Amino acid sequence: MSRRLRVGLLSFAHVHAPALASTLRELEQVEFTGIHDEDVARGQAAAKEHGSRWHDTADGLLAASEAVVVASTNVDHRRYTEAAAARGVHVLSEKPLATTVADGRAMIEACRRAGVQLGVAFPVRSSPAVIALKDAIASGALGRIRAVRATNPGQYPGRWFGDKRLAGGGAVMDHTVHAADAIRWLVGDEFARVQAELGSFIYGLDVEDCGLLTCDLAGGAFASIDCSWSRPQTFPTWGGVTLHVVGEKGTVDVDVFRQALTHYDDSADRARLVGWGDDLTTRMIGAFVDAILAGRPVPIDGEDGLRALEVAIAAYRAAETHLPVAIADLRV
Amino acid sequence: MGVLGAGFAGAMHAHSAMGLDDVQVVAIAALPLDQGAALAQECGARLATAEQICAADDIDLVVVATPTHLHAEYATAAAKAGKHVFCEKPIARTREQAEEMVRACDAAGVTLAVGHVVRYFPEYQRAKQLLDDGTLGRPAIATLVRGNFSVGSAREWYLDSAKSGGVVLDLMLHDLDTVRWWFGEPSRVYARRFTGRAGLEYALATIRYDDRPIVHIEGSWAEHAGFRTGFELRGDRGMLVHDSRATSPLTVQSPAGPAGPAMMATPTLAESPYRRQLRDLFARIGRGERPLVDGHEGLRSLALGLAVIESADSGNVIEWKAPA
Repeated sequence: MSRRLRVGLLSFAHVHAPALASTLRELEQVEFTGIHDEDVARGQAAAKEHGSRWHDTADGLLAASEAVVVASTNVDHRRYTEAAAARGVHVLSEKPLATTVADGRAMIEACRRAGVQLGVAFPVRSSPAVIALKDAIASGALGRIRAVRATNPGQYPGRWFGDKRLAGGGAVMDHTVHAADAIRWLVGDEFARVQAELGSFIYGLDVEDCGLLTCDLAGGAFASIDCSWSRPQTFPTWGGVTLHVVGEKGTVDVDVFRQALTHYDDSADRARLVGWGDDLTTRMIGAFVDAILAGRPVPIDGEDGLRALEVAIAAYRAAETHLPVAIADLRV
Repeated sequence: MGVLGAGFAGAMHAHSAMGLDDVQVVAIAALPLDQGAALAQECGARLATAEQICAADDIDLVVVATPTHLHAEYATAAAKAGKHVFCEKPIARTREQAEEMVRACDAAGVTLAVGHVVRYFPEYQRAKQLLDDGTLGRPAIATLVRGNFSVGSAREWYLDSAKSGGVVLDLMLHDLDTVRWWFGEPSRVYARRFTGRAGLEYALATIRYDDRPIVHIEGSWAEHAGFRTGFELRGDRGMLVHDSRATSPLTVQSPAGPAGPAMMATPTLAESPYRRQLRDLFARIGRGERPLVDGHEGLRSLALGLAVIESADSGNVIEWKAPA
């Protein structure tokens, strides 16, 4: 068997952490080095549940690892990434990359200086349907892409996701970046301008739970992103990702999580969807690990994470002023 | 009833009127005239010019189903001749034209109704009811979509924005009117649109209300598989979802495939929304009441459509003030 990469899980704060831990345990090209969490009780329970080693300190985990997946609160991405880089450990950061453009830049710079790779968790790029669309666009089959209507609505995740100090915002910070990354990757173009309407209408939070972005890309295409936590508690699944892509030669609809059984569950008094499509977390972490093992650039890097974060940051600024915000104005 | 125009809308209204008690389609006008011959024969109506229809003693109401940029000219002529006017949406191509129509009908003391037929579609009426009775709670965010293949491939005047107003005034206007009907007058509009070759046109609009809700609307002439509508309406107590592609109670397949001839009619309601619209209009005229969507209301929805176009073309956020 070929070499396995030693990978640890840094923090268990994120809702995706259990799935990340399971994936790290199961991937054959990974040796799961264990978990460190700033919340000791939570981290120890997680380590026990996933049959992995508990590390009292981040340094201990980093010393045992060649790479870490950072699944902390959004605001902690920077400090964990900088600690990993200082130890020469590669990083796969949960999304969004950071909560400010300055933090995102600092993370990229820290990893560059240390000679380690920085990846960002955008699993939508691992969807076979999205990859098929990317190939079709690249081949010219759809003609020039003129517009995209993207949605990434979800249920309110609860916990720290509604706390601006830890999450950096609400639904916009949580969900804009998946769609923004998919759009710029598919169209092969960069965001130039963002307008946004936000509101806190459903859960009584201090952060927005509804958000609708209208964006211009540099090459003239336009796109909208619905990032709202609009799925009711009775919705049959957590949410979803859809892309309605209009090209000059064709129109394509992608519903990334459409492959699901409908389960009418009397014990829960509701219907729910049971997905059976490819596991995107497995494919995403696999692609990251394979790149590190092969000494190739990771497929989704810190710059990609920063570009997507800029869209979210621009949305907050636009919503304050009711005016479109140029992405270039965030970089001065 | 006399019908000006024998295209899609003229034929729809003429056919819809045929099953109504106390309503008779007596004359059809078209340009050139013989293009209305088939429709006139189907309705047992005579072919006549627009001037003859306006002057006819046996006509009480004129349906204006001409290309959009001609609505004002014909509606004004009909009003001056003392006829009630039912005008297909949009009320007109420009705000000035619409204002002229409203003035002419008010001065003549005749009814001016505008065919915002979505207000007669039961799925949209149900949503309105669940909003109004509080079932959904306060509306938070809504998305409405409406798409079709490019109608410009069937009728060339649609391709000329100066005549039709493109996908925004012809298609998205249904949802702009719906949003006004559901939520009232918004406060801001931001939009984008593009026009491609062969009638391809697509627009996205974001409509913000003072406080709430946020509304997103898609109007598409890039829906190559054919007509569809949908909406998703989230209030703070629940969410409604409509998708026309998932609600047809009748699906027919033939060995010839999708290109084969239609084997059977596929009605989905006992009475079509178009007929309900005409039935309601005639009943209201009979009772001396205003139509459900009068000229002023049609003008306000047109103005919102024009604001969407202005935003898309200028790139700016448009602060919205509804015409009185």
